[in-house]
Amino acid sequence: MADISRREFLKRGVLSGVTAGFVLSGAEKVAEASENVEPVGTFIDLTVCDGCKGQEVPSCVSACRTKNESRFPVPEKDIPNYWPQKKKEDWSDKKGLTTRLTPYNWTAVQKTKIEHEGREYQLNIPRRCMHCVNPPCAKVCPFSSQTVTKEGAVVINPETCLGGAKCRDVCPWGIPARQAGVGIYMKMAPDIAGGGVMYKCDLCIDRVKKGQKPACVEACPKGAIKFGSRDEMLKMAQNRARQIGGYIYGDKENGGTSTFYVSPVPFEKIDSALKKQKQKQPNPEAPGYPGMPVKVGSFLDTPNGLATGMLVAPIASVFAAGYKVYKTMKGEVDSDK
Amino acid sequence: MTNKVSNVKIERHSGIVRFIHWTVTISIFILIFTGIGQMPMYKRYMVDQIMGLTWSSNYTVTLMLHYLAASALISASLYHVIFHGFLKEFNLLPQRGDLKESYLIIKAILTKGQEPPSHKYLAEQRLAYAFIVLNIALTIITGVIKVLKNLPSWEFGNGLLYWTTMVHNAATFMIIFGIAAHLGAFIMKENRNLLPSMFTGKVDLGYVKHRHSLWFNELIKQKKINPQAADKVSFSSYR
Repeated sequence: MADISRREFLKRGVLSGVTAGFVLSGAEKVAEASENVEPVGTFIDLTVCDGCKGQEVPSCVSACRTKNESRFPVPEKDIPNYWPQKKKEDWSDKKGLTTRLTPYNWTAVQKTKIEHEGREYQLNIPRRCMHCVNPPCAKVCPFSSQTVTKEGAVVINPETCLGGAKCRDVCPWGIPARQAGVGIYMKMAPDIAGGGVMYKCDLCIDRVKKGQKPACVEACPKGAIKFGSRDEMLKMAQNRARQIGGYIYGDKENGGTSTFYVSPVPFEKIDSALKKQKQKQPNPEAPGYPGMPVKVGSFLDTPNGLATGMLVAPIASVFAAGYKVYKTMKGEVDSDK
Repeated sequence: MTNKVSNVKIERHSGIVRFIHWTVTISIFILIFTGIGQMPMYKRYMVDQIMGLTWSSNYTVTLMLHYLAASALISASLYHVIFHGFLKEFNLLPQRGDLKESYLIIKAILTKGQEPPSHKYLAEQRLAYAFIVLNIALTIITGVIKVLKNLPSWEFGNGLLYWTTMVHNAATFMIIFGIAAHLGAFIMKENRNLLPSMFTGKVDLGYVKHRHSLWFNELIKQKKINPQAADKVSFSSYR
Protein backbone atom coordinates (compact mmCIF):
# COMPACT_ATOMS: atom_id res chain seq x y z
CA MET A 1 0.00 0.00 0.00
CA ALA A 2 2.80 2.37 0.88
CA ASP A 3 4.06 2.66 -2.71
CA ILE A 4 0.77 3.71 -4.27
CA SER A 5 1.27 6.16 -7.08
CA ARG A 6 -0.36 9.54 -7.30
CA ARG A 7 -2.11 8.42 -10.49
CA GLU A 8 -3.61 5.36 -8.71
CA PHE A 9 -4.67 7.54 -5.79
CA LEU A 10 -6.45 9.95 -8.10
CA LYS A 11 -8.04 7.12 -10.12
CA ARG A 12 -9.52 5.52 -7.04
CA GLY A 13 -10.50 8.93 -5.78
CA VAL A 14 -12.50 9.70 -8.88
CA LEU A 15 -14.26 6.31 -8.80
CA SER A 16 -15.20 6.61 -5.14
CA GLY A 17 -16.05 10.26 -5.50
CA VAL A 18 -18.41 9.61 -8.39
CA THR A 19 -20.27 7.00 -6.36
CA ALA A 20 -20.41 9.08 -3.21
CA GLY A 21 -20.93 12.40 -4.94
CA PHE A 22 -23.99 11.11 -6.76
CA VAL A 23 -25.88 11.69 -3.57
CA LEU A 24 -25.23 15.40 -3.82
CA SER A 25 -25.10 15.97 -7.55
CA GLY A 26 -27.53 13.39 -8.97
CA ALA A 27 -30.58 15.39 -8.06
CA GLU A 28 -29.52 18.22 -10.29
CA LYS A 29 -29.79 16.05 -13.38
CA VAL A 30 -33.41 15.22 -12.72
CA ALA A 31 -34.53 18.79 -12.17
CA GLU A 32 -37.09 19.66 -14.77
CA ALA A 33 -37.33 22.96 -16.49
CA SER A 34 -40.82 24.38 -16.46
CA GLU A 35 -42.62 24.85 -19.71
CA ASN A 36 -43.18 28.36 -20.90
CA VAL A 37 -46.54 29.05 -19.24
CA GLU A 38 -46.90 32.44 -17.64
CA PRO A 39 -47.93 32.40 -13.96
CA VAL A 40 -51.25 34.09 -13.32
CA GLY A 41 -52.43 36.25 -10.47
CA THR A 42 -55.28 38.35 -9.13
CA PHE A 43 -55.53 41.91 -7.90
CA ILE A 44 -58.29 42.65 -5.41
CA ASP A 45 -59.07 46.34 -5.06
CA LEU A 46 -60.58 46.92 -1.62
CA THR A 47 -61.51 50.48 -2.60
CA VAL A 48 -63.90 49.00 -5.16
CA CYS A 49 -65.32 45.89 -3.46
CA ASP A 50 -68.51 46.74 -1.57
CA GLY A 51 -69.25 43.16 -0.52
CA CYS A 52 -72.22 43.18 -2.94
CA LYS A 53 -74.18 45.51 -0.71
CA GLY A 54 -77.80 44.46 -0.42
CA GLN A 55 -77.13 40.86 -1.42
CA GLU A 56 -77.37 38.16 1.21
CA VAL A 57 -74.34 36.39 -0.28
CA PRO A 58 -71.68 38.27 -2.29
CA SER A 59 -71.56 37.32 -5.97
CA CYS A 60 -67.99 35.97 -5.84
CA VAL A 61 -68.96 33.61 -3.01
CA SER A 62 -72.09 32.40 -4.81
CA ALA A 63 -70.19 31.90 -8.08
CA CYS A 64 -67.47 29.94 -6.30
CA ARG A 65 -70.04 27.69 -4.60
CA THR A 66 -71.95 27.06 -7.82
CA LYS A 67 -68.78 26.35 -9.79
CA ASN A 68 -67.39 23.89 -7.22
CA GLU A 69 -70.59 22.35 -5.83
CA SER A 70 -69.99 19.07 -7.64
CA ARG A 71 -66.61 18.76 -5.90
CA PHE A 72 -67.86 19.41 -2.37
CA PRO A 73 -67.33 16.51 0.06
CA VAL A 74 -69.97 13.85 0.49
CA PRO A 75 -68.95 12.20 3.76
CA GLU A 76 -70.12 8.81 4.93
CA LYS A 77 -72.82 8.73 7.57
CA ASP A 78 -70.86 7.42 10.54
CA ILE A 79 -67.71 9.49 10.78
CA PRO A 80 -65.25 8.18 13.35
CA ASN A 81 -63.48 10.51 15.78
CA TYR A 82 -59.78 11.22 15.34
CA TRP A 83 -58.70 8.46 17.74
CA PRO A 84 -57.41 8.76 20.45
CA GLN A 85 -59.02 12.21 20.46
CA LYS A 86 -62.73 12.55 20.89
CA LYS A 87 -63.33 15.00 18.09
CA LYS A 88 -63.53 15.29 14.32
CA GLU A 89 -63.88 18.09 11.80
CA ASP A 90 -67.29 17.73 10.24
CA TRP A 91 -68.78 20.70 8.39
CA SER A 92 -71.43 18.69 6.57
CA ASP A 93 -74.22 20.12 8.74
CA LYS A 94 -73.01 23.68 8.03
CA LYS A 95 -73.02 23.57 4.25
CA GLY A 96 -74.92 26.85 4.07
CA LEU A 97 -72.27 28.82 5.98
CA THR A 98 -70.92 31.54 3.66
CA THR A 99 -69.19 33.93 6.05
CA ARG A 100 -66.08 31.82 6.59
CA LEU A 101 -63.93 29.27 4.76
CA THR A 102 -65.17 25.71 5.09
CA PRO A 103 -64.90 22.55 2.95
CA TYR A 104 -68.20 23.76 1.41
CA ASN A 105 -67.23 27.41 1.03
CA TRP A 106 -63.90 28.18 -0.59
CA THR A 107 -64.34 31.94 -0.80
CA ALA A 108 -65.69 34.25 1.90
CA VAL A 109 -65.95 38.02 2.24
CA GLN A 110 -64.85 39.47 5.57
CA LYS A 111 -66.55 42.75 6.42
CA THR A 112 -65.06 45.20 8.88
CA LYS A 113 -65.15 48.91 9.78
CA ILE A 114 -61.78 50.55 10.43
CA GLU A 115 -60.90 54.11 11.39
CA HIS A 116 -57.85 55.57 9.73
CA GLU A 117 -56.64 59.19 9.78
CA GLY A 118 -59.94 60.42 11.11
CA ARG A 119 -62.07 58.63 8.57
CA GLU A 120 -64.08 55.42 8.92
CA TYR A 121 -63.70 52.86 6.15
CA GLN A 122 -66.08 49.99 5.49
CA LEU A 123 -63.87 47.25 4.11
CA ASN A 124 -65.08 44.10 2.36
CA ILE A 125 -62.29 41.60 1.87
CA PRO A 126 -62.77 38.57 -0.39
CA ARG A 127 -60.67 35.76 1.11
CA ARG A 128 -59.48 32.47 -0.29
CA CYS A 129 -56.16 30.74 -1.01
CA MET A 130 -53.44 33.29 -1.84
CA HIS A 131 -51.67 30.85 -4.25
CA CYS A 132 -48.19 31.51 -2.94
CA VAL A 133 -45.17 31.46 -5.21
CA ASN A 134 -43.26 28.96 -3.05
CA PRO A 135 -46.18 27.48 -1.09
CA PRO A 136 -45.13 25.65 2.09
CA CYS A 137 -48.47 23.80 2.10
CA ALA A 138 -47.65 22.05 -1.18
CA LYS A 139 -43.95 21.70 -0.46
CA VAL A 140 -44.32 19.94 2.87
CA CYS A 141 -47.31 17.72 2.16
CA PRO A 142 -46.02 14.31 3.30
CA PHE A 143 -47.87 12.54 0.49
CA SER A 144 -47.35 15.11 -2.29
CA SER A 145 -51.11 15.57 -2.46
CA GLN A 146 -50.71 19.29 -3.07
CA THR A 147 -49.04 20.58 -6.17
CA VAL A 148 -48.41 23.83 -7.99
CA THR A 149 -49.57 24.05 -11.58
CA LYS A 150 -47.51 25.79 -14.24
CA GLU A 151 -49.99 28.65 -13.99
CA GLY A 152 -49.08 29.02 -10.31
CA ALA A 153 -52.32 27.65 -8.84
CA VAL A 154 -51.91 25.55 -5.70
CA VAL A 155 -54.21 22.52 -5.97
CA ILE A 156 -55.11 19.62 -3.68
CA ASN A 157 -55.65 16.11 -5.01
CA PRO A 158 -58.71 14.80 -3.12
CA GLU A 159 -57.89 11.26 -4.28
CA THR A 160 -54.63 11.05 -2.30
CA CYS A 161 -55.14 13.59 0.51
CA LEU A 162 -55.33 11.90 3.93
CA GLY A 163 -56.41 15.04 5.78
CA GLY A 164 -53.46 15.38 8.15
CA ALA A 165 -54.00 19.16 7.92
CA LYS A 166 -50.28 19.90 7.93
CA CYS A 167 -50.92 22.25 4.98
CA ARG A 168 -53.28 24.29 7.15
CA ASP A 169 -50.78 24.34 10.03
CA VAL A 170 -47.99 25.76 7.84
CA CYS A 171 -50.26 28.22 6.00
CA PRO A 172 -49.97 31.68 7.63
CA TRP A 173 -53.68 32.13 7.00
CA GLY A 174 -54.82 28.58 7.84
CA ILE A 175 -56.76 28.44 4.57
CA PRO A 176 -57.28 24.73 3.73
CA ALA A 177 -60.42 23.39 5.42
CA ARG A 178 -60.76 19.77 6.53
CA GLN A 179 -63.77 17.52 6.15
CA ALA A 180 -63.77 14.17 7.94
CA GLY A 181 -65.49 11.02 6.69
CA VAL A 182 -64.40 11.41 3.09
CA GLY A 183 -61.38 10.38 1.04
CA ILE A 184 -58.96 7.51 0.75
CA TYR A 185 -58.47 7.10 4.52
CA MET A 186 -62.06 5.81 4.80
CA LYS A 187 -60.96 2.81 2.71
CA MET A 188 -57.93 2.17 4.93
CA ALA A 189 -58.17 2.27 8.73
CA PRO A 190 -60.44 5.27 9.48
CA ASP A 191 -60.86 4.31 13.13
CA ILE A 192 -57.19 4.85 13.88
CA ALA A 193 -55.59 6.88 11.06
CA GLY A 194 -56.39 9.67 8.61
CA GLY A 195 -58.48 12.77 9.01
CA GLY A 196 -60.39 13.38 5.80
CA VAL A 197 -59.64 15.62 2.84
CA MET A 198 -58.50 19.25 2.72
CA TYR A 199 -60.46 21.67 0.54
CA LYS A 200 -59.68 25.13 -0.76
CA CYS A 201 -59.78 27.39 -3.80
CA ASP A 202 -57.85 26.05 -6.81
CA LEU A 203 -58.13 29.34 -8.74
CA CYS A 204 -60.62 27.57 -11.04
CA ILE A 205 -57.62 26.00 -12.72
CA ASP A 206 -59.81 24.07 -15.17
CA ARG A 207 -61.25 27.38 -16.42
CA VAL A 208 -57.86 29.10 -16.42
CA LYS A 209 -56.36 26.30 -18.53
CA LYS A 210 -59.13 26.93 -21.05
CA GLY A 211 -58.24 30.62 -21.17
CA GLN A 212 -61.20 31.66 -18.99
CA LYS A 213 -61.20 33.73 -15.82
CA PRO A 214 -61.86 32.22 -12.37
CA ALA A 215 -65.57 32.17 -11.48
CA CYS A 216 -65.20 34.80 -8.71
CA VAL A 217 -63.48 37.24 -11.10
CA GLU A 218 -66.14 36.82 -13.74
CA ALA A 219 -68.98 37.17 -11.22
CA CYS A 220 -67.78 40.37 -9.53
CA PRO A 221 -70.28 43.08 -10.53
CA LYS A 222 -67.86 45.89 -9.65
CA GLY A 223 -64.77 44.52 -11.32
CA ALA A 224 -62.99 44.60 -7.96
CA ILE A 225 -61.14 41.36 -8.70
CA LYS A 226 -58.80 41.57 -11.68
CA PHE A 227 -57.17 38.56 -13.28
CA GLY A 228 -54.14 38.29 -15.57
CA SER A 229 -50.47 37.49 -15.54
CA ARG A 230 -48.91 37.70 -12.08
CA ASP A 231 -46.47 40.41 -13.13
CA GLU A 232 -49.23 42.45 -14.71
CA MET A 233 -51.45 42.14 -11.60
CA LEU A 234 -48.60 43.14 -9.31
CA LYS A 235 -47.90 46.22 -11.42
CA MET A 236 -51.58 47.09 -11.47
CA ALA A 237 -51.77 46.75 -7.68
CA GLN A 238 -48.65 48.87 -7.17
CA ASN A 239 -50.00 51.59 -9.44
CA ARG A 240 -53.34 51.59 -7.66
CA ALA A 241 -51.65 51.75 -4.25
CA ARG A 242 -49.57 54.70 -5.44
CA GLN A 243 -52.61 56.39 -6.92
CA ILE A 244 -54.62 56.32 -3.69
CA GLY A 245 -51.68 56.59 -1.29
CA GLY A 246 -52.71 53.16 -0.06
CA TYR A 247 -51.17 49.88 0.92
CA ILE A 248 -50.47 46.58 -0.78
CA TYR A 249 -50.74 43.07 0.63
CA GLY A 250 -49.62 39.71 -0.78
CA ASP A 251 -46.47 40.74 -2.65
CA LYS A 252 -44.08 39.90 0.18
CA GLU A 253 -46.14 37.78 2.54
CA ASN A 254 -45.18 34.09 2.87
CA GLY A 255 -42.34 34.68 0.40
CA GLY A 256 -44.68 36.26 -2.17
CA THR A 257 -48.13 35.24 -3.38
CA SER A 258 -50.22 35.54 -6.55
CA THR A 259 -52.99 37.52 -4.87
CA PHE A 260 -52.54 41.25 -4.32
CA TYR A 261 -54.84 43.38 -2.19
CA VAL A 262 -54.81 47.15 -2.25
CA SER A 263 -56.37 49.07 0.61
CA PRO A 264 -56.58 52.71 1.75
CA VAL A 265 -56.03 51.43 5.31
CA PRO A 266 -52.76 49.89 6.57
CA PHE A 267 -53.00 46.11 6.69
CA GLU A 268 -51.73 46.11 10.28
CA LYS A 269 -55.04 47.75 11.23
CA ILE A 270 -57.00 45.30 9.07
CA ASP A 271 -55.22 42.34 10.67
CA SER A 272 -55.93 43.67 14.12
CA ALA A 273 -59.62 44.22 13.27
CA LEU A 274 -59.96 40.72 11.81
CA LYS A 275 -58.37 39.18 14.89
CA LYS A 276 -60.89 40.97 17.08
CA GLN A 277 -63.71 39.77 14.84
CA LYS A 278 -62.46 36.22 15.03
CA GLN A 279 -62.71 36.30 18.80
CA LYS A 280 -66.40 37.11 18.43
CA GLN A 281 -67.04 34.04 16.22
CA PRO A 282 -69.07 31.16 17.72
CA ASN A 283 -65.90 29.03 17.91
CA PRO A 284 -62.91 31.45 17.94
CA GLU A 285 -60.32 28.67 17.76
CA ALA A 286 -61.81 27.11 14.62
CA PRO A 287 -59.93 27.74 11.37
CA GLY A 288 -61.49 29.43 8.34
CA TYR A 289 -61.42 33.04 9.48
CA PRO A 290 -57.98 34.25 8.35
CA GLY A 291 -56.18 37.37 9.49
CA MET A 292 -53.86 39.51 7.38
CA PRO A 293 -50.49 39.41 9.17
CA VAL A 294 -48.17 41.88 7.46
CA LYS A 295 -44.87 40.59 6.00
CA VAL A 296 -45.53 37.20 7.56
CA GLY A 297 -42.64 34.83 6.87
CA SER A 298 -42.79 31.39 5.35
CA PHE A 299 -42.58 28.14 7.27
CA LEU A 300 -39.81 27.23 4.83
CA ASP A 301 -37.60 30.23 5.71
CA THR A 302 -35.84 28.47 8.61
CA PRO A 303 -35.19 25.07 6.95
CA ASN A 304 -34.15 26.74 3.70
CA GLY A 305 -31.70 28.89 5.64
CA LEU A 306 -30.28 25.73 7.16
CA ALA A 307 -30.03 23.88 3.82
CA THR A 308 -26.78 25.54 2.72
CA GLY A 309 -25.25 25.01 6.15
CA MET A 310 -26.11 21.32 5.82
CA LEU A 311 -23.47 20.99 3.12
CA VAL A 312 -20.63 21.89 5.48
CA ALA A 313 -20.52 18.56 7.34
CA PRO A 314 -20.62 16.31 4.22
CA ILE A 315 -17.90 18.36 2.50
CA ALA A 316 -15.74 18.21 5.64
CA SER A 317 -16.43 14.48 5.79
CA VAL A 318 -15.21 13.98 2.21
CA PHE A 319 -11.95 15.76 3.01
CA ALA A 320 -11.52 13.85 6.29
CA ALA A 321 -12.09 10.52 4.53
CA GLY A 322 -9.67 11.45 1.75
CA TYR A 323 -7.00 12.43 4.29
CA LYS A 324 -7.49 9.21 6.28
CA VAL A 325 -7.30 7.11 3.13
CA TYR A 326 -4.13 8.86 2.01
CA LYS A 327 -2.51 8.23 5.39
CA THR A 328 -3.60 4.60 5.32
CA MET A 329 -2.33 4.06 1.80
CA LYS A 330 1.00 5.55 2.76
CA GLY A 331 1.10 2.96 5.53
CA GLU A 332 0.93 5.44 8.37
CA VAL A 333 -2.40 4.23 9.71
CA ASP A 334 -3.81 0.71 9.83
CA SER A 335 -6.96 0.23 7.84
CA ASP A 336 -9.95 -1.74 9.06
CA LYS A 337 -9.32 -4.62 6.68
CA MET B 1 -25.80 -21.71 29.84
CA THR B 2 -23.10 -19.28 28.96
CA ASN B 3 -20.58 -19.40 26.18
CA LYS B 4 -17.07 -20.34 27.11
CA VAL B 5 -14.71 -17.90 25.54
CA SER B 6 -10.99 -17.87 25.03
CA ASN B 7 -10.22 -14.52 26.66
CA VAL B 8 -8.06 -13.62 23.67
CA LYS B 9 -9.54 -10.77 21.64
CA ILE B 10 -8.97 -9.65 18.08
CA GLU B 11 -9.97 -6.32 16.53
CA ARG B 12 -12.92 -6.59 14.18
CA HIS B 13 -13.88 -2.92 13.84
CA SER B 14 -11.56 0.05 14.08
CA GLY B 15 -12.52 3.16 16.05
CA ILE B 16 -13.50 5.06 12.92
CA VAL B 17 -15.74 2.22 11.71
CA ARG B 18 -17.52 2.16 15.07
CA PHE B 19 -17.84 5.94 15.01
CA ILE B 20 -19.43 5.80 11.55
CA HIS B 21 -21.74 2.95 12.63
CA TRP B 22 -23.00 4.83 15.67
CA THR B 23 -23.29 8.11 13.77
CA VAL B 24 -25.46 6.32 11.22
CA THR B 25 -27.46 4.62 13.99
CA ILE B 26 -28.16 7.77 16.00
CA SER B 27 -28.88 9.90 12.93
CA ILE B 28 -31.28 7.28 11.54
CA PHE B 29 -33.17 7.08 14.83
CA ILE B 30 -33.50 10.88 14.89
CA LEU B 31 -34.52 10.86 11.21
CA ILE B 32 -37.20 8.23 11.78
CA PHE B 33 -38.64 10.01 14.83
CA THR B 34 -38.65 13.45 13.24
CA GLY B 35 -39.77 12.05 9.88
CA ILE B 36 -42.82 10.45 11.47
CA GLY B 37 -43.40 13.86 13.07
CA GLN B 38 -43.65 15.32 9.55
CA MET B 39 -46.33 12.80 8.57
CA PRO B 40 -47.99 14.35 10.84
CA MET B 41 -48.58 12.05 13.79
CA TYR B 42 -47.60 13.44 17.16
CA LYS B 43 -50.40 15.98 17.60
CA ARG B 44 -53.04 13.52 16.44
CA TYR B 45 -51.82 10.74 18.74
CA MET B 46 -51.10 13.21 21.56
CA VAL B 47 -47.42 12.29 21.77
CA ASP B 48 -46.79 16.02 22.31
CA GLN B 49 -48.68 15.76 25.58
CA ILE B 50 -46.05 13.42 27.00
CA MET B 51 -43.71 15.29 29.34
CA GLY B 52 -40.54 16.34 27.50
CA LEU B 53 -42.03 15.75 24.05
CA THR B 54 -44.05 18.95 23.68
CA TRP B 55 -41.73 19.95 20.83
CA SER B 56 -42.56 16.79 18.83
CA SER B 57 -45.59 18.33 17.09
CA ASN B 58 -43.71 21.51 16.19
CA TYR B 59 -42.96 21.07 12.49
CA THR B 60 -40.20 23.66 12.49
CA VAL B 61 -38.32 21.93 15.30
CA THR B 62 -38.72 18.43 13.86
CA LEU B 63 -37.79 19.56 10.34
CA MET B 64 -34.66 21.33 11.62
CA LEU B 65 -33.65 18.19 13.54
CA HIS B 66 -34.42 16.13 10.43
CA TYR B 67 -32.10 18.31 8.35
CA LEU B 68 -29.30 18.18 10.94
CA ALA B 69 -29.54 14.40 11.32
CA ALA B 70 -29.66 14.04 7.52
CA SER B 71 -26.46 16.06 7.28
CA ALA B 72 -24.81 13.69 9.79
CA LEU B 73 -26.08 10.61 7.91
CA ILE B 74 -24.85 11.92 4.54
CA SER B 75 -21.48 12.81 6.06
CA ALA B 76 -21.08 9.36 7.61
CA SER B 77 -22.23 7.64 4.40
CA LEU B 78 -19.80 9.64 2.25
CA TYR B 79 -16.96 8.86 4.64
CA HIS B 80 -17.86 5.16 4.58
CA VAL B 81 -18.07 4.97 0.77
CA ILE B 82 -14.89 6.96 0.14
CA PHE B 83 -12.83 5.26 2.84
CA HIS B 84 -13.70 1.67 1.97
CA GLY B 85 -13.97 2.40 -1.75
CA PHE B 86 -10.45 3.80 -1.92
CA LEU B 87 -9.01 0.97 0.12
CA LYS B 88 -10.97 -1.62 -1.87
CA GLU B 89 -12.45 -3.06 1.31
CA PHE B 90 -15.48 -4.80 -0.09
CA ASN B 91 -15.84 -7.71 2.33
CA LEU B 92 -19.30 -6.52 3.37
CA LEU B 93 -20.64 -6.63 -0.18
CA PRO B 94 -22.79 -9.64 -1.07
CA GLN B 95 -21.05 -12.50 -2.84
CA ARG B 96 -22.30 -15.21 -5.17
CA GLY B 97 -24.00 -17.94 -3.16
CA ASP B 98 -24.79 -15.71 -0.14
CA LEU B 99 -28.50 -16.50 -0.24
CA LYS B 100 -27.83 -20.25 -0.05
CA GLU B 101 -25.11 -19.83 2.56
CA SER B 102 -27.35 -17.62 4.61
CA TYR B 103 -30.05 -20.31 4.50
CA LEU B 104 -27.50 -22.95 5.59
CA ILE B 105 -26.33 -20.81 8.54
CA ILE B 106 -29.87 -20.18 9.79
CA LYS B 107 -30.76 -23.85 9.24
CA ALA B 108 -27.67 -24.90 11.23
CA ILE B 109 -28.59 -22.54 14.07
CA LEU B 110 -32.14 -23.88 14.22
CA THR B 111 -31.23 -27.56 13.86
CA LYS B 112 -28.07 -27.33 16.01
CA GLY B 113 -26.11 -28.48 12.98
CA GLN B 114 -22.78 -27.45 11.52
CA GLU B 115 -22.55 -23.97 10.01
CA PRO B 116 -20.54 -23.45 6.83
CA PRO B 117 -17.25 -21.61 7.54
CA SER B 118 -17.56 -17.83 7.35
CA HIS B 119 -15.37 -14.91 6.44
CA LYS B 120 -15.17 -11.78 8.59
CA TYR B 121 -18.85 -11.23 7.91
CA LEU B 122 -21.59 -13.84 7.77
CA ALA B 123 -23.47 -14.27 4.49
CA GLU B 124 -26.64 -12.83 6.03
CA GLN B 125 -24.68 -9.82 7.28
CA ARG B 126 -23.56 -9.11 3.73
CA LEU B 127 -27.14 -9.40 2.47
CA ALA B 128 -28.46 -7.23 5.29
CA TYR B 129 -25.75 -4.65 4.54
CA ALA B 130 -26.77 -4.48 0.87
CA PHE B 131 -30.44 -4.13 1.87
CA ILE B 132 -29.80 -1.34 4.33
CA VAL B 133 -27.33 0.47 2.04
CA LEU B 134 -29.80 0.40 -0.84
CA ASN B 135 -32.55 1.90 1.32
CA ILE B 136 -30.29 4.48 2.96
CA ALA B 137 -29.09 5.51 -0.51
CA LEU B 138 -32.70 5.86 -1.67
CA THR B 139 -33.66 7.98 1.34
CA ILE B 140 -30.59 10.18 0.88
CA ILE B 141 -31.13 10.75 -2.85
CA THR B 142 -34.85 11.42 -2.44
CA GLY B 143 -34.16 13.44 0.71
CA VAL B 144 -31.75 15.72 -1.16
CA ILE B 145 -34.43 16.28 -3.82
CA LYS B 146 -36.95 17.03 -1.06
CA VAL B 147 -34.61 19.62 0.49
CA LEU B 148 -33.97 21.23 -2.89
CA LYS B 149 -37.65 21.38 -3.80
CA ASN B 150 -38.30 23.52 -0.70
CA LEU B 151 -35.95 26.18 -2.06
CA PRO B 152 -37.68 28.84 -4.17
CA SER B 153 -34.94 28.65 -6.81
CA TRP B 154 -35.58 24.99 -7.64
CA GLU B 155 -38.40 23.72 -9.80
CA PHE B 156 -39.23 20.04 -10.18
CA GLY B 157 -42.01 18.33 -12.05
CA ASN B 158 -44.98 17.20 -9.96
CA GLY B 159 -44.54 13.59 -11.14
CA LEU B 160 -40.95 13.50 -9.96
CA LEU B 161 -41.92 15.02 -6.62
CA TYR B 162 -44.71 12.48 -6.15
CA TRP B 163 -42.39 9.51 -6.77
CA THR B 164 -39.66 11.09 -4.67
CA THR B 165 -42.09 11.31 -1.74
CA MET B 166 -43.32 7.75 -2.24
CA VAL B 167 -39.81 6.29 -2.49
CA HIS B 168 -38.64 8.33 0.53
CA ASN B 169 -41.52 7.03 2.64
CA ALA B 170 -41.25 3.43 1.40
CA ALA B 171 -37.47 3.28 1.86
CA THR B 172 -37.91 4.65 5.40
CA PHE B 173 -40.24 1.78 6.24
CA MET B 174 -37.76 -0.65 4.69
CA ILE B 175 -35.06 0.80 6.96
CA ILE B 176 -37.31 0.34 10.00
CA PHE B 177 -37.84 -3.26 8.89
CA GLY B 178 -34.07 -3.65 8.37
CA ILE B 179 -33.32 -2.31 11.85
CA ALA B 180 -35.86 -4.72 13.36
CA ALA B 181 -34.23 -7.63 11.51
CA HIS B 182 -30.74 -6.38 12.48
CA LEU B 183 -31.68 -6.29 16.16
CA GLY B 184 -33.76 -9.46 15.82
CA ALA B 185 -30.62 -11.33 14.74
CA PHE B 186 -29.37 -11.09 18.31
CA ILE B 187 -32.23 -13.27 19.49
CA MET B 188 -30.00 -16.08 18.26
CA LYS B 189 -27.32 -16.70 20.87
CA GLU B 190 -24.69 -17.51 18.24
CA ASN B 191 -24.83 -13.95 16.95
CA ARG B 192 -24.45 -12.32 20.35
CA ASN B 193 -20.70 -12.95 20.29
CA LEU B 194 -20.50 -10.28 17.59
CA LEU B 195 -22.10 -7.61 19.80
CA PRO B 196 -18.99 -6.56 21.80
CA SER B 197 -17.12 -5.59 18.62
CA MET B 198 -19.61 -2.81 17.94
CA PHE B 199 -18.71 -1.27 21.31
CA THR B 200 -15.10 -2.26 22.04
CA GLY B 201 -14.11 -3.12 18.47
CA LYS B 202 -12.95 -6.58 19.53
CA VAL B 203 -14.32 -10.12 19.30
CA ASP B 204 -13.24 -13.29 20.97
CA LEU B 205 -10.54 -15.06 18.97
CA GLY B 206 -11.87 -18.48 19.96
CA TYR B 207 -15.24 -17.49 18.54
CA VAL B 208 -13.56 -16.30 15.33
CA LYS B 209 -11.71 -19.61 15.02
CA HIS B 210 -14.92 -21.51 15.62
CA ARG B 211 -17.34 -19.60 13.38
CA HIS B 212 -15.35 -17.31 11.09
CA SER B 213 -12.66 -19.83 10.23
CA LEU B 214 -12.03 -18.36 6.78
CA TRP B 215 -11.26 -14.97 8.35
CA PHE B 216 -9.24 -16.72 11.07
CA ASN B 217 -7.03 -18.38 8.45
CA GLU B 218 -6.70 -15.05 6.63
CA LEU B 219 -5.54 -13.39 9.87
CA ILE B 220 -2.87 -16.07 10.31
CA LYS B 221 -1.80 -15.59 6.69
CA GLN B 222 -1.57 -11.83 7.22
CA LYS B 223 0.45 -12.53 10.39
CA LYS B 224 -2.04 -10.56 12.43
CA ILE B 225 -2.21 -13.46 14.90
CA ASN B 226 0.47 -15.82 16.02
CA PRO B 227 -0.24 -19.39 14.71
CA GLN B 228 1.08 -21.00 17.91
CA ALA B 229 -1.09 -18.76 20.09
CA ALA B 230 -4.01 -19.39 17.75
CA ASP B 231 -3.68 -23.13 18.28
CA LYS B 232 -4.28 -22.68 21.98
CA VAL B 233 -7.50 -20.72 21.78
CA SER B 234 -10.75 -22.61 21.76
CA PHE B 235 -14.42 -21.82 21.83
CA SER B 236 -17.01 -24.17 23.17
CA SER B 237 -20.53 -22.99 22.78
CA TYR B 238 -23.60 -24.08 24.68
CA ARG B 239 -24.37 -26.54 21.94
